Amino acid sequence: MARKIVTSLGVLSLILVIAALYMVFEYVPTEADEGIVQRIFYFHVPCAWIAFMAFGLVAVAGIFYLWLGGQIWDDLGHGAAETGMLFCTLMLISGSLWARPMWGTWWTWDSRLTSTFILWLLYGGYLMLRVMIDDSRQVARFAAVIGIVAALDVPVIILSVRLWRTIHPAVLVTRQGGHGLEDPRMVATLLVSLAAITVTFAWLFLVRFAELRMGTRLEALARGIALAEVRTGDI
Amino acid sequence: MAAFTAILRKDLRLELRSGQSTIALVALALLVLVVLVFALDPAVARGPETAAGALWVALVFSGMLGATRVLTAESENGCIRGLLLSPADRAGLYAAKLAAAFIFMMVAEAAGVVMMVLFFNLEFDAAMMRVAPVLALGALGFASLATLLAAITSRARASDLMLPLLAVPMYVPALIAGVRASAAALSGAPFSAARDWIGILIAFDVLFVTAGYLLFEHVIAEE
Amino acid sequence: MAAPVVETRGLGKSYGLHPVLRELDFRLLPGRGAAVIGGNGAGKSTLLAILAGLSSPSEGSALIFGADSRRLGPRYRRRIGMLAHRSYLYPNLTARENLEFYAALYGVADAPAAADAWLGRVGLEASADERVGAFSRGMEQRLAAARAMIAEPALLLLDEPFSSLDTDGQSLMAKLLVAALARGATVVATAHAVPEIERAELDLYEIVRGRMLPYKEKEPEEVRRGRLRTLLGR
Repeated sequence: MARKIVTSLGVLSLILVIAALYMVFEYVPTEADEGIVQRIFYFHVPCAWIAFMAFGLVAVAGIFYLWLGGQIWDDLGHGAAETGMLFCTLMLISGSLWARPMWGTWWTWDSRLTSTFILWLLYGGYLMLRVMIDDSRQVARFAAVIGIVAALDVPVIILSVRLWRTIHPAVLVTRQGGHGLEDPRMVATLLVSLAAITVTFAWLFLVRFAELRMGTRLEALARGIALAEVRTGDI
Repeated sequence: MAAFTAILRKDLRLELRSGQSTIALVALALLVLVVLVFALDPAVARGPETAAGALWVALVFSGMLGATRVLTAESENGCIRGLLLSPADRAGLYAAKLAAAFIFMMVAEAAGVVMMVLFFNLEFDAAMMRVAPVLALGALGFASLATLLAAITSRARASDLMLPLLAVPMYVPALIAGVRASAAALSGAPFSAARDWIGILIAFDVLFVTAGYLLFEHVIAEE
Repeated sequence: MAAPVVETRGLGKSYGLHPVLRELDFRLLPGRGAAVIGGNGAGKSTLLAILAGLSSPSEGSALIFGADSRRLGPRYRRRIGMLAHRSYLYPNLTARENLEFYAALYGVADAPAAADAWLGRVGLEASADERVGAFSRGMEQRLAAARAMIAEPALLLLDEPFSSLDTDGQSLMAKLLVAALARGATVVATAHAVPEIERAELDLYEIVRGRMLPYKEKEPEEVRRGRLRTLLGR
């Protein structure tokens, strides 16, 4: 049953991606100021939204883990973090690819890119920590705490970075993403693109989550076997 | 409350006896400032803006050392277990460690301010009074963040990498706000100019002290 | 019948995949003493850590004073004293300062007086104001015992309390144990071999492959060989 859901999500994701690609390259008109390169926007922005949303998932999973216990919450958070990290990376790469032809630099410290970059560092820290702790029960607890604290920090980060950028408007170019999408075709394209990326995220997340659950179950089985082995010595 | 006082007094007594942590923090702050003096182009890099930035870099690095030491002080003879066994509540333990880290950081900060004035061509004037509360807010925020994180990273491999890796991105808002507010204070700007930044610092401190207070019990227990 | 001070139900603890303790069902009534015998790595320290609330079980539960060991509130922790392999003493503080700190932490009224009294009881009055870092292992162990008992705990957990002590130290420890039992404390002590303690009635247990069983006297080697020979017709 669960496998059917995951497979259908995968198929849906493929369909939506193809639809989005068509709309981005054929359907939507070229943007007046920025030209063809602007089409990256339809990929870049949804990736950013997903990256932030996924981090929220990590934090919520962490709260449930600390509150209710149960390895499933940790597997949820772990899966969300890995998948979210992927889309965060894609957002940064697409941002760089957009910046280069637009302004001649590989990176700009505009407020959204900066905030997402810090989010990327937070993801990286979370995932590295999971690798660096040996005891599996401690990993879950520590990861939960880090996820919660980092997620609470994100709004403060966004606010401070935004304030930081407003004092140096002349130094670096500010990108106005999503500035007045006048043409309804642009809005439609953005929505389809968002749907495609969200469904792809959901599919990848569920695949990874299922893997992690399998791992947890295998560990429980192995523990049972080890216990049975010790018991045979009692006879 | 009694536990908080007993533990803090014990930590301060230990520190007064050996002075290891405060000396280490002051030394590190000084070294960071020296590196920055030589690394930055002297033609451009004198004055309140750069001075504030350099001082906060020193604060961050000495803060990481301070938080680590405050917790590893309990690793000899398994003393942390003695504390966990006792009736002392985990939040009180957190508050005591946070207070100790904060005090060590403020001592290092005071030394750092003196170095900063000397290295970056500033004056020992009223601006020092305006900068002190900003530094205190920054130190409190960092101490609360790093004490919570250090309890986690001390159990990880590559712990001296993991603490900065986690602490630095999380500290960014306070770092941005703190440097801007300090620069404003050092250039003689009125308090109102830095109002937004101070607001961010306060919000950051409230967030992390509360989060640490609530979450510390989950990270300090052993399994 | 009084409620047990220590009660475990199906207690188990695994490190990774390996089960160190399993299917532990054990009860200790107030005022009783238990000695748990086991070799190295048998799980003695693990058991005590769980009973002290420092470690949580992988299976089953442990109830201390009727409360789940994972959620022991300050009220219960105040009544538990533990003497472990590590002394929990600060090397840069003096003996007196260490005791006064722990007394304050455990809410002992008049901590300095209590510290003085216990320094006397363990024979360390002469070294009261010396740094613990300079103590010998035996002195440290004696001070640690004072640290564990200064709050007159109702439950005393001792991990191999006689190891690394000379004969004087061992008789002192035995005296302290007997005194604790006499005032009504409940005691769990672990050891490699059955401790010879006069005037103390201890329930004897053994950890065998992770389970805790009543202690059985081992047959001396010659008797066993004799039986084998008879079996084999030699």
